[in-house]
Amino acid sequence: MSARASTTRRFAFSAGHRYHVAQWSADENARAFGRLTVPHGHNYMLDVTVRGPIDPRTGMVIDLGELKGIVNATVIERFDHADLNADPLFRDRIPTTENVAIAVWDLLAPALGPDRLARVRVWEDPTLFVDYDGA
Amino acid sequence: MERDVLRRVELTRVYHFSAAHCLANPGLSAADNAALYGPCARPHGHNYYLEVTVAGVPDALTGFAVDLERLDRTVTRSLLDQVDHHRLEDAPVLAGVITTGEGLARAFWRTLSDALPAGELQGVVVQETAKNRFEYRGEEG
Repeated sequence: MSARASTTRRFAFSAGHRYHVAQWSADENARAFGRLTVPHGHNYMLDVTVRGPIDPRTGMVIDLGELKGIVNATVIERFDHADLNADPLFRDRIPTTENVAIAVWDLLAPALGPDRLARVRVWEDPTLFVDYDGA
Repeated sequence: MERDVLRRVELTRVYHFSAAHCLANPGLSAADNAALYGPCARPHGHNYYLEVTVAGVPDALTGFAVDLERLDRTVTRSLLDQVDHHRLEDAPVLAGVITTGEGLARAFWRTLSDALPAGELQGVVVQETAKNRFEYRGEEG
């Protein structure tokens, strides 16, 4: 039996988005979203938590180099300096912080394995973050 | 993304207030409070951060799990207006509470769980300084 632990690594990406429901009129969108209908952007932060046994040989839950490589290749290269609304992941979903967190999970879970990925935390700005753990 | 699965997220909003307080157990003498709480028994203040965590399923159309404007309004009116630039001991929501970080977190939980829709509140964190962080998730002994 190996002891289990969690490792969290922080990433950053800057991306643009707007809140807009295609089937609504301009008035309805303005009423629901206000200024958020106007294209704007954020410096997002992403905390990725991996949970698992501490490997007795390496002393690590996960090699941080491996984690960085996976997150950069699947999430950061895709979302950094991107228009989130143009991403197929958000074709039918508004890129709210809630949906960005779920999308990040969907990109990372197959690459890391859902049994290793414990939580993603997406910060839209320093006053707002959303956690998703696959539930 | 899968459209039919209800996927529950937790959303946390970070608020800020500045307030004065001093730690004192009203059942103790001034000398005993000074001995128990040390410098914290003297009137002083902090730049507090308050994290409020709520849970919900993102709406299929709007993508919102929580109405942030409503959350901000509720937290501001039920809590922040009473504590920001006030003495914590004067706040009605803190009547009878020793204003430790733990005491604040538990009192704020009670206020917010009454003010928010049933079951929405998941946790409250009070950060008193950059070094002190207190979390309460509704557990009673």
